Amino acid sequence: MTALAEPDATRVHSPAPPAARAHGSAVPGALAVVTAVGLAVLVAGPGTPVLVVAAVAVALSVAELTRRLRAQLDAATELEAQRRDLVTLGQSTAEELEVATRMMRARAQTMTSVIDAVTEQSIIGTDRDGLIRVWNPGAERMLGLPRADVVRLRTITDFHAPEELAPEELAPQDDAARFAALVQVAREHGSDVRDWTYLTADGRRLTVSVAITPRTDDDGEQAGWNFVGTDMTEARAAERLKDQFVSLISHELRTPLSSILGYLELVMDEEDQPLTAEQRQYLATVERNAQRLLRLVGDLLFTAQVDAGRLTLQPEDVDLAGIVRAAEETARVTAATRGVSVTVDVPADGLVVRGDALRLGQACDNLVSNAVKFTPADGQVTLRLRAGWQDADGTVLESDAPGAARVALLSVSDTGVGIPTGEQGQLFTSFFRASTARRNAVPGVGLGLTITKAISTAHGGTLDVASAEGRGTTFTLTLPL
Amino acid sequence: MDAPVRVLVADDEEDIRLLVCLAVRKAGCTVVAAVADGAQALRSARAEQPDLVVLDVSMPEATGLEVCSQLRADPATAGCRVLLLSAGASPDDIARGLAAGADAYLPKPFTVAGLVDEVRRLTAGTPA
Repeated sequence: MTALAEPDATRVHSPAPPAARAHGSAVPGALAVVTAVGLAVLVAGPGTPVLVVAAVAVALSVAELTRRLRAQLDAATELEAQRRDLVTLGQSTAEELEVATRMMRARAQTMTSVIDAVTEQSIIGTDRDGLIRVWNPGAERMLGLPRADVVRLRTITDFHAPEELAPEELAPQDDAARFAALVQVAREHGSDVRDWTYLTADGRRLTVSVAITPRTDDDGEQAGWNFVGTDMTEARAAERLKDQFVSLISHELRTPLSSILGYLELVMDEEDQPLTAEQRQYLATVERNAQRLLRLVGDLLFTAQVDAGRLTLQPEDVDLAGIVRAAEETARVTAATRGVSVTVDVPADGLVVRGDALRLGQACDNLVSNAVKFTPADGQVTLRLRAGWQDADGTVLESDAPGAARVALLSVSDTGVGIPTGEQGQLFTSFFRASTARRNAVPGVGLGLTITKAISTAHGGTLDVASAEGRGTTFTLTLPL
Repeated sequence: MDAPVRVLVADDEEDIRLLVCLAVRKAGCTVVAAVADGAQALRSARAEQPDLVVLDVSMPEATGLEVCSQLRADPATAGCRVLLLSAGASPDDIARGLAAGADAYLPKPFTVAGLVDEVRRLTAGTPA
């Protein structure tokens, strides 16, 4: 019998039924004897000797007592049966309760052990007002306070940088308003993930990516809030350092390149002392490589801006046909040197999109210069521009269809070395170079397609590839019209 | 014959400073001073009253943007033309330069021909 079951059994046995109370009392028994003596006197008559009267009285009282005792015994037997039934019922209820309790404990234990096993993330649970109810070892480690010092004693806002929660007009003691500010986005959108500044017990400030979600009870009512935090302090510092490094390198490389290109220009354009053809050829090589270095610096800086989410466009009406023709012009000399012919097929009256002319030119130049680089002598590069449609899945259609959007399709096809099927998914990753590029010693660092993809995405467009190794590749840039 | 257009050049990189001076002379102008920091640029501008100041943005003592703002704030120099040169080529960089009061902004690396054209454009019609 469990401790929980016992009170029930006790309650069932007490109080005793009324019959038991009447028969079990000593006072009514004595009354019965007196009554029997009275009856014996009446039966024997007033002249009867006392002994006879006494014998009759005793005989009457014994018979009555026997009857009553039997009745008591019957009642007791019945009660015992009832007791046994109730005990059985109590036992089975107690067993069911025990099973349910054990399951509840196991579930709670599982939850606790999962939360306690998390040491790299802080998991903090609060009630609806922000009072802390759950504080896992990750929170202990991150914020430097043991669970016992926090649970039911502190509010979550105690650990947030106040300036991030309190508008200037808010009184510093207005904790409810600060908590409301903390959970405002999660309350409106169901969840919120962003960086907050946590204050540790020893006064450090941590940049923590916190996922805030509401917590509900068994009835679906909101019971409080969960705050799951990952310390991003070092990661964010590394990102800032990378940004500073890229910016510094960009400046430090551009400055000497300015001198190299500037003085080269002066020498090559010197009219009083013209260069020999050979000298001009050597200096042209120097200039080409300086320009290559300059493009690389620009690409690195651009990639860093995209990674940091700082790519900004200067939108205007741009004729893509002009962009394609300009890209062909830029690649013409290199293509001719390599023996690759370039064909341009664009609408005579142009095709205007809304976009950043400089960036779209950069994207088109990248695709054309890649096509020329990866195509062997006697190969063919085709630049084609047309209007088309694209359905919601991104499939390009030749004609209008329900739900399809009108788009500009700029494709650059080559008859080059191609890209192995298994590598096509990684093409747009920074610094990735296809095995065919490495095998054929095609120069490059693997940023051009990352940049082109970023530009197309920033314009609300797509960049797709179709390629067969040894037969050629087609990149299609799609831009909304 | 008109008096030559007077130009002040300020860049902390000696090679670039010389290159800018060459371009300014190619444009038919006179270099009245070529200095290596922002403080000297301000002093020279106040002393020489040039028609055009060609300023590098990233300089010690005072940046080209600060020099430009101070030139605009001083009635004695507010009327001179300012051309900013900078390794920063982003639209934000250019917007900051123009907001500081520059008449033109040329990202580095620039071509000598481009700089000559820009100097001629900015000094067309000067001196009066």
